[in-house]
Amino acid sequence: MSPETPLIILVDDDPDFLEIGAHALKADGYRVACFVTPSEALEQMQREKPRMVITDLMMKDLDAGFSFSRAIKDDPHLKDILVVIVTAIGSQRGFDFRPRTQADLEAMRADAYLEKPVMPDVLQAKVRELLGKRQGEQKR
Amino acid sequence: MSDDSVHIMVVDDEPGMREGCRRILVAEGYNVATAEDGVVAMELFEKHRDFATMLVDLKMPRMGGIELIERIRKQDQDVALFVITAYATIETAIEATKRGANGYLAKPFTPDELLLHVRNGLEWRALSAETRRLREEREKRLLEVAFERSKINTIVNCMTDGVIVVNRDGQIVLRNAAAARILPSSTEVSLPAPLGAAVACAELRDILTKILRGPSGPLVASREVELEKCPYMVNASPVVEPGGEILGVVAVLRDIAALKKLETAKSLFVSMVAHEVKSHLAAVEGYLNVIRSDLEKEPQRSREMMDRAILRASTLRQMVSELLELRAIETGNFMLTRSPLDVNEIVAETAETCKAKAKEKSIELSVRLGGREKPIKVLADRTAVRTVLSNLIDNATKYTPAGGHVTVRVESDHVYARLSVKDDGIGLAPEDAAKVFDEFFRVRNEQTAHVVGTGLGLSIVKQLVEMHHGKVSVVSALGKGSEFTVSLPLAEQSP
Repeated sequence: MSPETPLIILVDDDPDFLEIGAHALKADGYRVACFVTPSEALEQMQREKPRMVITDLMMKDLDAGFSFSRAIKDDPHLKDILVVIVTAIGSQRGFDFRPRTQADLEAMRADAYLEKPVMPDVLQAKVRELLGKRQGEQKR
Repeated sequence: MSDDSVHIMVVDDEPGMREGCRRILVAEGYNVATAEDGVVAMELFEKHRDFATMLVDLKMPRMGGIELIERIRKQDQDVALFVITAYATIETAIEATKRGANGYLAKPFTPDELLLHVRNGLEWRALSAETRRLREEREKRLLEVAFERSKINTIVNCMTDGVIVVNRDGQIVLRNAAAARILPSSTEVSLPAPLGAAVACAELRDILTKILRGPSGPLVASREVELEKCPYMVNASPVVEPGGEILGVVAVLRDIAALKKLETAKSLFVSMVAHEVKSHLAAVEGYLNVIRSDLEKEPQRSREMMDRAILRASTLRQMVSELLELRAIETGNFMLTRSPLDVNEIVAETAETCKAKAKEKSIELSVRLGGREKPIKVLADRTAVRTVLSNLIDNATKYTPAGGHVTVRVESDHVYARLSVKDDGIGLAPEDAAKVFDEFFRVRNEQTAHVVGTGLGLSIVKQLVEMHHGKVSVVSALGKGSEFTVSLPLAEQSP
């Protein structure tokens, strides 16, 4: 695959989600790299900047995904990476983090939010939607 | 009328008068005592206290008739008192009557006049006693009614539920102590108070008014209402007269904060279960989809994915059965069959069945039995102890990397048999060790990412151990390993 093919990074401590998600995104023509921890992913980003990061919220810490997205969005070099947060925190812990407005999304430093488990077709649609939007913005 | 038990006293300083009267009365069958002045009469009266009638002369030495009548009347309301005097004037008659005399007999009088007065006196006395009895009875009943009322008030006031009663005019007429606490605004006005002034919550006012003015006849309301930021269940019903007319509304306000909390915990639990089920199913479904599109291209990879899918599916099945087991334990539908068990024997047996799984992961599972002198016995359910042990060994094996060690040890003191499962695996952070027995709790980090589990195994261990009046604890150090210890009370040693 050519380097122009967008790179998407998947971060989740559930290897099954990584495997299935990666398969779905590769099928759509993206390059995919998978990591079980945010620190490994950040390391990789220094080598090659991805177009998008799809990360779990609850990993080692309850809010590991939030600090990860903050680390990306606060870095002037990385801040234009699209961040998608996927989580089951609502059904698992009773916290309702679902963003209702664009402002909510911005507050959690994310470009999209998905409830777990994410089915492959939902993931593909979301990625297409976000990358399509980004392309449109860049053309203008 | 004349009766042996009727006692009459004649008080006169004139002996002839005393004796004359006495004879007339004795002839009629009365029991007669005589006294020559007020002092003697008073002594006699206080000694016997059973005189039905007294005939009293006014003018006597030491104590006159007026004073005597006054003193006797104070002590006895029923005795018939007649004044006998030769110096009759209207004034003295009125004076004597004021002091308590019933009548007046002017000297000289005929025997018939005397007897007539005595009979009238006795009749009056009987009536007076009857009247007094009736009055006392009525007072007693009033007292009972008042007591009943205060008893009901006390009971209503002691209720933990708030009680308010609203009359037909929409005024609060009763409010118990709990209601005063629940509706603080109602204490700012004195009862009866209009609803609008006493109840700040419009919703509650609405419920009460609707019942009061219900167009479709009397109705009963049962609704949740928030009062002073706390949830209450309001149960209101009309107070209906035997004729069917609505006299008012009685409402009971029950604090349901604890119930709501329970409800929240329950729905969170349901959503946790649903999530666990959904994520296993999503993984299985995801893998199946990948396999379908990949099968011919990469048969080896597809086989690996199938193994993963099967693992997730079997974990899901295990989770459902463990969940059912946990609920059965919690609802008391789990029957234990206790029998004396040799701990060494059951440990050796269970460890044997776990060996294969450990070997597969290249983990050395060893067993150290204890109590060489005499067998260590507990009174327990065989299946339950096996489940406890295999869950602990399974847990240790899962969180110990290849090449590690798991040791099962049996020990005992005078009270407990101790079964411990120790590993040199990844260990637990202190905050995770505290939660490790919680349902669905699983440690999440890079080392546990590939471990598949239900998060219920240790919860079951805890429940089963506690059912046997034992305890389970964990000692762990991150990166060094964990040791779970189960203490079960020893069975009483047979002699």
